[in-house]
Amino acid sequence: MAGGLAVSSRQLAALRLLRRRLIQAVPLMLGVVVINFVLIHLAPGSFLELMTAENQVSDPATVALLRKTYGMDDPLWLQLAKYVWALLHFDFGFSYRQNMPVLQAITIHLPATLLLMVSSITLAFAVGVAAGVVASIKVRTVWDTLVSVAAMFFFAAPSFWLGIMMIVLFAVKLGWMPVGGMATIGGGGGVLDILHHLILPTLALGLFYAAIYARVMRSSMLEVSQLDFVRTARAKGLSRRQVTVGHVLRNALLPVVTILGVQMGTVLAGSVVIESVFSWPGVGSLLFDSVSSRNYPVVLGILVLGSLVVIAANIAVDLVYMWLDPRIEIR
Amino acid sequence: MKFDFLGRFSRNRGALVGAVVILGVALLAILAPLVYPTDPLRIVAQPELWPGEDPAYPLGTDSLGRDILAMIVHGARATLLIGLFASSVATIIGVGMGATAGYFGGWIDEIAMRAAELFQTIPNLIFVLTIVLILGSTLQNIVIAIGIVSWTPIARMTRAEFLALRDREFVQACRAMGMGNGRIILGEILPNALPPVIVLSSLVVAGAILFESAVSFLGLGDPNIASWGRLVGDGRQLIRSSWYICAIPGVAIMITVLCLNLIGDGLNDALNPKLRDR
Repeated sequence: MAGGLAVSSRQLAALRLLRRRLIQAVPLMLGVVVINFVLIHLAPGSFLELMTAENQVSDPATVALLRKTYGMDDPLWLQLAKYVWALLHFDFGFSYRQNMPVLQAITIHLPATLLLMVSSITLAFAVGVAAGVVASIKVRTVWDTLVSVAAMFFFAAPSFWLGIMMIVLFAVKLGWMPVGGMATIGGGGGVLDILHHLILPTLALGLFYAAIYARVMRSSMLEVSQLDFVRTARAKGLSRRQVTVGHVLRNALLPVVTILGVQMGTVLAGSVVIESVFSWPGVGSLLFDSVSSRNYPVVLGILVLGSLVVIAANIAVDLVYMWLDPRIEIR
Repeated sequence: MKFDFLGRFSRNRGALVGAVVILGVALLAILAPLVYPTDPLRIVAQPELWPGEDPAYPLGTDSLGRDILAMIVHGARATLLIGLFASSVATIIGVGMGATAGYFGGWIDEIAMRAAELFQTIPNLIFVLTIVLILGSTLQNIVIAIGIVSWTPIARMTRAEFLALRDREFVQACRAMGMGNGRIILGEILPNALPPVIVLSSLVVAGAILFESAVSFLGLGDPNIASWGRLVGDGRQLIRSSWYICAIPGVAIMITVLCLNLIGDGLNDALNPKLRDR
């Protein structure tokens, strides 16, 4: 380790938390894989027949290879074991549509989705927390009402519809924003160009979560501000601003961070729909394409890898949580 | 008691408005065959009539010349039913899992909560799409799939209630009388645990409607049913010339979901007076 001798007890605790979470992730992933396996076997007709028919594979050698890959002739438990074994080696099968291994097809599309997820969560968090704080400081004023009306609106609007409406207004009518895609075709590209394309999808996906965070943050702020330690802070002469920022805000953030962790899967799933609206070249577009072409291996691969992303994101959120609230030791 | 509930519910003005609107939508859904007895997917006029252009079609017509208002009225039926059924599926699974976990505790609790964690980990909409893709786009599969991804909050809530109630004196009294576990769970604890669960279920209806609209929008809805989400998807190609085709069903979804959320808030106020003003 660069830096030296002193690994603080906080860092140690964080490492222990990390180890514990990683161990807990194993049965979770196994569960995801088993569910996947069950889904495959619930499919009407043989999985193999469907797959070969949909992809117009008639070459007997290929079919034999597929039979072997998916172990169609083995007993069920052995098939499951083989499936788990293959996944452990990151063998998700082959996608004929993209003519490459499923894993590769997914990882090509992953960065775009992660970018959209991160930008949407950042927007949701910033806007939601800010709005919630304003509403709680100006409780029962016009500002409070404004925030709750906006939150109600964005909490009820389907994200894909919001996206389309934003395209109509900002891209078609006003011409300020691109209609879709991730970069201008034939243009110079560059970071600014991508950011320009990122704005509308981020708003469409993020505002729903901003609405949730605003509501939670508001009630959490109001609750924390009535606790004893806040009264103590006021009594010892700190200004209202110091108390709000240093004492109330930090503690009030905890429930928001908890929700953030729980919703990682939802955000990933939400990006699927948004990507299809904005032709954003991420995993969602791949999924949509694979769903329409009944490309099962890719769909199942996305389900497994998506769960993996969610687990990783949850661990990250746990670490943030620990950093925010030193009282939390690993249980 | 009942009067008290109604009084507290209607003191929340938002909830009252929500309830009235939802009642209206439900009435519309029930009376749809009377208001528009013919097939709503029938072509009736020239295509892409803007709302207000022809008084016979107040919300205009779509790209094929179908009456948008007729499709909205009939779509209300599909959308509401799917929301209600999916929420029922989620509530049945959630209450079942939560009650068993909370009442028995120990390894049963451990397994149930791990299962809940598992279903929270899998990206929900992707899971729904996969189920519908593999098992087929029928109304039944969509409803079950949405229920399967929506039960976890209900299970957690039920479990917490059962944990709080299972060692209370009235339950101990029942045990001392020799009552069986099944009767205690269903007859004694469950009625006491229900109020917060009802609030959550009403919110799940709203969530289920949003789910279904996304599934239909992506083209995986039941082909025999014109739900509002599908109407948004159908109108998507024409946003440059006739964006209202897309906008109108979306507004319908939004108003319905908004009103269901308002009802949920009102139920929360009425059923959990302790939590008021939170």
